[in-house]
Amino acid sequence: MRNRIIIPLIIALLAIPAVFAYVHWSKGGTGTGLYSRYWSPDPVQGYWDPDNFYQSPDSVQGIFAGEQCVQCHEGITPGIVTDWRGSRHAQSEETVYCNDCHGNNHQQLHLPTPDVCGNCHAKQHDEFRDEARYGFPSHVLAMERAVDAKHFVDKPKAEVQSCVQCHSVATKCDSCHSRHRFDAEEARRPEACITCHSGPPHPDDETYFASAHGKLYLAEGDSWDWSKPLAKGNYKAPTCAYCHMENGRHQVAEKSLWKFGLREINPHTSKNQVLRRKWVKLCSDCHEAEKAEQWLSELDQERKQAWQKLYAAEASLKNLRSEKLLQPPAGERPPYPMDWLDTLWPRERIGFFEGQASVFYNVSAIERDYFEMWYFDNLGAYKSAAHGNPAGVASGHRKMAASLDRIETQANELRELSQAEKKAGITTKPSGNLWMKGAYTDYNREHN
Amino acid sequence: MRKTIVWFLALLATHPALADEPVPSGSFTETECITCHTERDPSLIRQWRKGSHSVTSGVGCHSCHGENHKESAVKARKDQSCTGCHEGAASHSYSTSKHGIITHLEAARQDWRQPLQHGNYRTPGCSYCHLHNGDHGNTMAPDRGPETRQWICAGCHSPRYIREQFANGNRQLEIADLKLSEGESLIASAVDDQADALSKLRKSLNHHRHNVLLGIGHQSPDYQWWHGQPALDGDLIRIRDRILQSSRRKSLADNLEE
Repeated sequence: MRNRIIIPLIIALLAIPAVFAYVHWSKGGTGTGLYSRYWSPDPVQGYWDPDNFYQSPDSVQGIFAGEQCVQCHEGITPGIVTDWRGSRHAQSEETVYCNDCHGNNHQQLHLPTPDVCGNCHAKQHDEFRDEARYGFPSHVLAMERAVDAKHFVDKPKAEVQSCVQCHSVATKCDSCHSRHRFDAEEARRPEACITCHSGPPHPDDETYFASAHGKLYLAEGDSWDWSKPLAKGNYKAPTCAYCHMENGRHQVAEKSLWKFGLREINPHTSKNQVLRRKWVKLCSDCHEAEKAEQWLSELDQERKQAWQKLYAAEASLKNLRSEKLLQPPAGERPPYPMDWLDTLWPRERIGFFEGQASVFYNVSAIERDYFEMWYFDNLGAYKSAAHGNPAGVASGHRKMAASLDRIETQANELRELSQAEKKAGITTKPSGNLWMKGAYTDYNREHN
Repeated sequence: MRKTIVWFLALLATHPALADEPVPSGSFTETECITCHTERDPSLIRQWRKGSHSVTSGVGCHSCHGENHKESAVKARKDQSCTGCHEGAASHSYSTSKHGIITHLEAARQDWRQPLQHGNYRTPGCSYCHLHNGDHGNTMAPDRGPETRQWICAGCHSPRYIREQFANGNRQLEIADLKLSEGESLIASAVDDQADALSKLRKSLNHHRHNVLLGIGHQSPDYQWWHGQPALDGDLIRIRDRILQSSRRKSLADNLEE
């Protein structure tokens, strides 16, 4: 009896530090994150993740005071000097010079990270860091999640630089406060967000601009006073920042009800109810509370319908998987290089919790169709519903229905083909090198 | 040497004798524009004549500058003079980039009378990069060589930063080209019973490869990525799937014939 308790206890006591030690060890490679030992950064990554990869230039030697930097750069890079002159940094009584953020030794210059900005902007920095408690998706965890994605590790680093450009919102402040003006007025406008919040999986720009709020902004926004804080009564219509950064609070994920629409959540938990009340209070700046509650429940309805379609598609794929009809099977596709489990136990990944987010290149066509249905059609519908664009909701759901229909038709075709093969007594021949070879596929295997 | 030439040209364009000449007001025909400007600045007309606007699409002075001489340069410098024709992905990849959104937000307070030179614009609009310093050939065309093209960015960015961004852009494009050639050789290996479907996929490959190029040129992460690389991956999957299914159907048909 005693053994039954003591032995598992000892195993647990040994396993916990071992896991910590493994995670610590895995982060000690040339890259960053859990798979850091499997990749090295592209030379340009230092500009997106300066804390980890930026290398100071060795072109100019010397220690310089602020005025000297400005004097010299006025001739070399006049654009950024003009920009800085227009900033509060240059116009405030205590001028913030180049060297205050970049250092004064030209051979040890650094790019300012959020911690550097936080030396003065402590409130915003603390709020920004504290966003981590809402988990992912969030701005502060964006870089960690990017580099821990299997496709990021697997693909050539030059290719996935496009990922870290947006995910650098976690490692630099100039994603929103563009350098060297760092203008709060600019950062308050919706355009500050759309370089990253656009495109198939997150059409926040299109869906917002098509909403009544967005249309008002497009028609009148240029004449609004953007120096006003993001607070009740200051703006005729809400913008991205008005709702997601209430009163300038730097915690965009704070009121995240549906977690980007990536997975189904339970809208009835007490935690979710707390967030809901925050939304209702915010909408009440202009609207009646009952109306806001109704919109939120309409969003829940939309999500319910979306997940019915998505689960139907997942079921279709999972049936194909158990009938071994997904061609080529996992063993005949290029595996993620660092995943020993994949090699030991090749398995097609279906759905959010199995890692669907990385399943868009080394898979079969029907799985790719589901990826697009989940990541493009579904998220488009979600963003439309959340931003108040009914036409976008209808179009997203039409696309999802069409994708589901295509997936189910294809599943039946695959089933019929396999039955016909069985009847004729031929075994489905392996796909051979079809998925494994090719100019890019070969290059990808060798460049992590 | 090249830098000296660029400096010399820049000096020449800002020379008071040229810049301060009185500008006649009123409307002019295309022929009048060309006649007068050939006398004043023959190189400008030469640049335009050699470029694709003149050669392939017949775009003359009026298309960008309007008919009225007053404010004609200001009109042409603004993005709107380009986006009327260069719409869709070409324009969207720029308008959602950091440069694009800042240019849009600053448009009202930007002094568009300033020449397209370093220090005069907070962010580059279409004309700042593609007609830098008023050069009427495309200053961003690859045949201008890296020095001229990278010089344009140097008004704000460090030479090392520019070099690294260009180098990464080239690597991204090489990768897109590898995908393109992977697709081409897969299509070439296919049994020719679904030419239509495969030719659609070939078009799609080329379209997505072009998106990568636009994404790099305009610094739009979204065009480099979602409209570009993973879209190319999708094309490759669908080409392979066509080939696999058609080969299975073929062996089934062969078997039934026997």
